[in-house]
Amino acid sequence: MTWISRPAVATVAFGLLMAVLAAQLGNDYQLTIAFTICVYYLCAAGTNILVGYAGQKSLGQAGFFAAGAYCAAVLSSRFGLSPWLALALAPLVAGAFGALIALPSLRAKGPYLAMVTLAFGLVVEKLVTEWSDVFGGPQGLYGIAPLSFDGTAFSNLHWVWFAIALCVIVQILLGNLVRGDFGRALLSLQADEIAAASVGVDVHRYKVLAFVIAAMTCGLAGALVAQQNQYINSDFISLNLSIFILLLVLFGGAGSLYAPLFGASALVLIDAQLAQWPALQHFAYGALLLLTLYVMPNGVAGVLTGAWRRGLSARPAQPPTQARHGQHIRGNLPACPGLDGARAPGNVLAVQQVSKAFGGVRSAQDISFCLQPGHIHALIGPNGAGKSTMINMLTGVIDPDSGDIAFAGTPIAGAAPHAICRLGVARTFQNLRLFGGLSVVDNVMLGRHPRLPRGIWAQLLALPAARHAEADARQWVRELLDFTGLSAVADVPAGQLAYGLQRRVELARSLATAPMLLLLDEPAAGLNPQETRELGNLLVRIAGHGITILMVEHHMEMVMGISDHVIVLDHGVKIAEGRPADVQCNPCVIAAYLGAGSQAA
Amino acid sequence: MTALLQASISGLAVGGSYALIALGFSLTFTTTRTLNFAQGDFVSVGAFLGLSAVLLSSSPLAGGISGAAIAGWVPLLAIFAAAAGMGLIGAALYRLAIRPFAGKPGMSWVMSSIGFGIILQSAGLAAWGPGTVMVPAPFGDGIIRMFGAGVRLQELLVLLTALVAATVFEIVMRWTVAGKAMRAVAHDPATARLMGIPVEAYMAGAFVASSALAGLSGILIAPITGASLYMGLGIALKGFSSAIVGGLTNPRGCVLGGLLLGLTESWINLWQAQWREIVVFLGVIIVLGLKPSGLWGAKVVEKV
Repeated sequence: MTWISRPAVATVAFGLLMAVLAAQLGNDYQLTIAFTICVYYLCAAGTNILVGYAGQKSLGQAGFFAAGAYCAAVLSSRFGLSPWLALALAPLVAGAFGALIALPSLRAKGPYLAMVTLAFGLVVEKLVTEWSDVFGGPQGLYGIAPLSFDGTAFSNLHWVWFAIALCVIVQILLGNLVRGDFGRALLSLQADEIAAASVGVDVHRYKVLAFVIAAMTCGLAGALVAQQNQYINSDFISLNLSIFILLLVLFGGAGSLYAPLFGASALVLIDAQLAQWPALQHFAYGALLLLTLYVMPNGVAGVLTGAWRRGLSARPAQPPTQARHGQHIRGNLPACPGLDGARAPGNVLAVQQVSKAFGGVRSAQDISFCLQPGHIHALIGPNGAGKSTMINMLTGVIDPDSGDIAFAGTPIAGAAPHAICRLGVARTFQNLRLFGGLSVVDNVMLGRHPRLPRGIWAQLLALPAARHAEADARQWVRELLDFTGLSAVADVPAGQLAYGLQRRVELARSLATAPMLLLLDEPAAGLNPQETRELGNLLVRIAGHGITILMVEHHMEMVMGISDHVIVLDHGVKIAEGRPADVQCNPCVIAAYLGAGSQAA
Repeated sequence: MTALLQASISGLAVGGSYALIALGFSLTFTTTRTLNFAQGDFVSVGAFLGLSAVLLSSSPLAGGISGAAIAGWVPLLAIFAAAAGMGLIGAALYRLAIRPFAGKPGMSWVMSSIGFGIILQSAGLAAWGPGTVMVPAPFGDGIIRMFGAGVRLQELLVLLTALVAATVFEIVMRWTVAGKAMRAVAHDPATARLMGIPVEAYMAGAFVASSALAGLSGILIAPITGASLYMGLGIALKGFSSAIVGGLTNPRGCVLGGLLLGLTESWINLWQAQWREIVVFLGVIIVLGLKPSGLWGAKVVEKV
């Protein structure tokens, strides 16, 4: 059984049980309800990936449903295509729409994103209503060929069985995806796109993939409905359908793999019960929507996992007190195959005449410097000197106006943040940017993202290669947590840790990307003297492993104590650089820090 | 040429109602970072509240709403009832569906406001039924001739109200203490609270004002389109589009966006009526693809 995962076996078993139960259903009405549950399950499954994992609200899922439904309908009713082929093409066409609509959604956020998806759903709705020559409008398209096997058209029971089989396949595939690196990458997008890019997650790629997945399952559902009814008209496609699909996910518990199952079965059954009172049905939707948000913000799945956890915690499972403070650092930085060879002699980073202005403020003016391998460099200067701007330019968050930046000989000025991370530049942030809801170990696992194989097919099918890579990464991360003294808090959500530990988690996350160059933006900010000393020791040990460090820091004792080389900026100009002792005596530096008058004093 | 002028004037009038709604969206978004996604139901219910108020005042015993019964309506009463009634419901919306979710991640307020709207619409359907009521215009169906184009008085009234509302809004925001406090709340609620500004009251006030604007636009547009509980959805969706295209954070942009959308829609109507909405919403998608914060909205710059 090594080639198939336990959740997959459980899902197949559950599917078989449902198939057996479906065979016991007495009449067509009940079979129709079972089929409807499967259809809505499919809609919700993909939407859950988009909404619950990637955190992109879509109010246009009906558009994807329509794309699949009308694709199957037009292909088989007008072009006489085999229904099986039409069904296979439907999710592909819907997926193409998903990729298309993802494009304007890449930069739009919040309500603007909601508007893009909303408008998409409305355009599709109006298109199928008004363009009646092709789509039949409100009269609809008749004579859609149903699926058949061996020349016999599917009976209602066959339809239910077939739909259950599709649901099982979708559940297994999506489960494989979100349990591994892919799922973590999506969650990182939802939490903080800038931090996600800083650990090498290609934000655009993952957003597009999330939209494509959501579109494909909705398209598949649409095609099934069109083929089973052998009819589709524009009344199926409405804003209400989009809202209902979102409600399925929220009610089930967005971000849980079981949300679609809970949501679809509960709401379709409630719907069927209320069908005799249409006025009440409408009211019930609204009430249910509000009630879900009030009483169970994490949906049915949230309530169930909450109960499960409470059941578990009846046994004493208090975290050791050590967990609050972390523990002492031990072990070594785990070796990273593949990057050690890249540590070539010469400059790690060469910055040449880089300039950047924000309006009238010139944050960087013709700045040049070089970083030596394995050295600790400090970048200091008064507030507003342009230190963070420099870090942001080195990591691709801000594009320089002019000048060159070369990392190990590769020009990186203006490159995308995730691409720079992949080359071997890691960073931390001045204001912590952890994925607060994820555990410490998941935060650090995200750091492994750029070093894990990216093949989506291997992850989708949970091929052995993908599973071994994941297991190896987990082992590697455990060692790294030992090295950074975080093992005791590995499973605690990062957002719940004390500030000092959060800083260390961020450092561990950046180390996990196996960088050649580590950029730290005020790593000691907010740390107490004890924690600062520990940090200094840790940085020296990291540099001892051949990793070059450039830190922006105000804590002069640490800067002067551990740096090999100090660069001083003031108002966007490099005013000095050299060994710590030399810089300390430099009159320009003293003037910048204490004011020009102090020289005379 | 006359047709074009005619279409432009009608477009501006319809655009005025979009602008009123867009202004409301801008108001709540700048103060609370949330929007009422059920604004459509507020438009429809606003229209019916206005009509009912007139009906109750003129003939208390009348059994139902009919065009004839309200022929002699008092326009001011209707407008006041629509705005005040929806303002009250707006306060309830804020308390029940927005406050518990504002500022939390996940945009639950989108769904909670939709849920509130569905309940409101159900209540409206129970009270007034699903039919469309023809509403006579308060100043008659007179037509003014301008350069050969005929303009309905009601259309002028809508446009005028939108411009007055936008001007009042501008004056309040710029030159009053309340406006300054509102901008402070928009900028940073926590700090505003520390400065002694009653943040909650301003946030609730924004929803009251925004809902009142929705009710106002409902009662004003009703004589042009007829009143039904389904009339609001389309208007609100376009009001939302206007606010987004103009830039949610910029009230002037929102008003301009509304007028622009009304004009575009009206011009396309001259050419191919059935493509009107498809072109409008496709246009919205394209604009957002090019300018993700709308045409005149402030670009959100996140400090790293």
